[in-house]
Amino acid sequence: MIVDVLPGRTAALEQVSSLELPTKRDEAWRYAPHKALGALTFGPAAAPAAVPADVDAQIPEIEGPRLVIVNGVFDPERSRLDATPSSLRVESLAEATDEAVVGLLQREYDAAEDAFSIINRAYGTGGALVLVDGRVDKTIHVVNVVAPEVPQAATAARVIVEMAEGSAATLVETRIGSGDVGACNIRTEISLAAGASLEHIVLQDLPTTQIHLGRVDVVQAADSCYQTRLFNLGADYGRVAYHVHLAGEGAEADLSGLYFGFGDQTLDQQITVVHAAANCRTSQSYRGVLDDESTGIWNGGVDVRPGADGTDSVQSNDNLVLSRRAEVNTMPRLEILADEVSCQHGATVGELDEEALYYLRSRGIGQAEARRLLINGFADQVMDDLHDDVLRTWIAERLGPDHA
Amino acid sequence: MLHVKNLTASVGEAEILTGLDLEVGAGEVHAIMGPNGSGKSTFAHALAGRDGYEIAGEAILDGVDLLELEPEERAAAGVFMGFQYPVEIPGVNNMYFLRTALNSVRRARGDYEISARDFLAVANEAMELVEMKEGFLNRSVNAGFSGGEKKRNEILQMAVMQPRLAVLDETDSGLDIDALRVVANGVNSLRGPERSMIVITHYQRLLDYIKPDFVHVLVNGRIVESGDHTLALHLEDHGYADFVADDAALSGAPA
Repeated sequence: MIVDVLPGRTAALEQVSSLELPTKRDEAWRYAPHKALGALTFGPAAAPAAVPADVDAQIPEIEGPRLVIVNGVFDPERSRLDATPSSLRVESLAEATDEAVVGLLQREYDAAEDAFSIINRAYGTGGALVLVDGRVDKTIHVVNVVAPEVPQAATAARVIVEMAEGSAATLVETRIGSGDVGACNIRTEISLAAGASLEHIVLQDLPTTQIHLGRVDVVQAADSCYQTRLFNLGADYGRVAYHVHLAGEGAEADLSGLYFGFGDQTLDQQITVVHAAANCRTSQSYRGVLDDESTGIWNGGVDVRPGADGTDSVQSNDNLVLSRRAEVNTMPRLEILADEVSCQHGATVGELDEEALYYLRSRGIGQAEARRLLINGFADQVMDDLHDDVLRTWIAERLGPDHA
Repeated sequence: MLHVKNLTASVGEAEILTGLDLEVGAGEVHAIMGPNGSGKSTFAHALAGRDGYEIAGEAILDGVDLLELEPEERAAAGVFMGFQYPVEIPGVNNMYFLRTALNSVRRARGDYEISARDFLAVANEAMELVEMKEGFLNRSVNAGFSGGEKKRNEILQMAVMQPRLAVLDETDSGLDIDALRVVANGVNSLRGPERSMIVITHYQRLLDYIKPDFVHVLVNGRIVESGDHTLALHLEDHGYADFVADDAALSGAPA
């Protein structure tokens, strides 16, 4: 029995019993592990009796306000919400009950809902609320922890971000986990008012037994600027789907990311950028490194709606395949229904450069070290403008299987 | 110091080195010249340890058979090869690369590793040698470098690595006269009684700047003539025609 029933949630709960999960025939879910997804048990969020001991060390020590969610439930002990500036309201979603928030929770999006986003609406009672009105200098950090107490347990959480006109902030979302087979379903909903700007970094590194279903919906007003970097570094199935809707003229979105798979992981990025207004600029730039029997998916779409004249979009996806059994699926998609549009896209799949390997080895660098240098060099180009050393180190330590 | 004896190298059916003999003493500079396709670069790569060749014979440096070693082990044994086409490695910082290289070699030799701070002094000295500006070390290895910058980077690496044997493969190719002077000065200042060099070149021009002790002519995968620096002048005037014809007659192949 859910007590604080909201209209949106009631409807979602009604749908949950009759939901049909996506199948191989759904393009956006083609490479998902359908059997494993079907075996998951979603339910109301419930904090674990104890948070596993290895969780704390996994959280990057970023200065600034921090909100931690474990299995969909706010964890006050690990959170740090005192001393937030007046331009920022960040709090646990379950506790935020004022009318303004209720409206935000029921926001509808242009992008289609799917079974897991409906599950998120139904069970995602917990999460983070981030309201920014002004310039926030400290990085806002939202951490999601998956710690299943029984196998196949899955929880949902929501992160609601509201950027007021002309405001600016940096948000880091970290998704980590510990313990048994399980999953999280996290939806981040971001709205940028005119002239607002948000830097949004997603760090995703679940254990190889767990499933990460991430969805990010972004709606942008005129002249707003959304910049996001995804580091999809580990999970049995690690999925992040972005739906970025540029609704106001002159908005800009810059999406980039790195996925780094090993073992039999599947790392899935589903990107859709919708140009619904004139003179917007977007870029998508993703890199993948796939080792062992891992699979990487990059499905990047640009949808230019009628009237979105003067659209400028660029897409690129480059992949480094380190093993004959690894697999990459790269799919740039374009749908253009406007004039005076410039849309470029390119995708590459390559192996480690043998000549470069030899060059490094001829300088005395051993084979394993030389490989690592080249792989990190390839991956590092996604981090070019990432200046926070804490983040850089966190990411660098998680490239490849060494840390597992 | 270096004894190369009956060195052969082939790729598939094609025999590229056909029994190369060369003796290089400590502190000597040997120039190897030859027409296109004579096996000059293959010889350099055979010494440095590139994959993909069927190799036989001997190449012994200070008593160690290089042919038994991996490329990184050869570097630790003191071999440095200056590439004709230095490889661009985007994303790998030049400074980090150099320090990793030096410390890998030091570790292999049982030496202590050099700290980032001490390395900076080593690097700065090497930079001066090849007249490089400071920002050079913060760029990715060779990525977007001009031809001259790439070759200077090779000499910079050589100065940092302080090899026992330097094999410079067409270090002069693609250089204008100013860059050639800088590179040659760098090489000359690295000459020493304990360091030997093999300078591979197509043209005599480089040898105006780097005076070799010996000049060898490589044709069809072996050395067919050796002499002092005047041999290079002879080649400049007469080309390789005499040697190519002689060698063809010798091996019974049609000229």
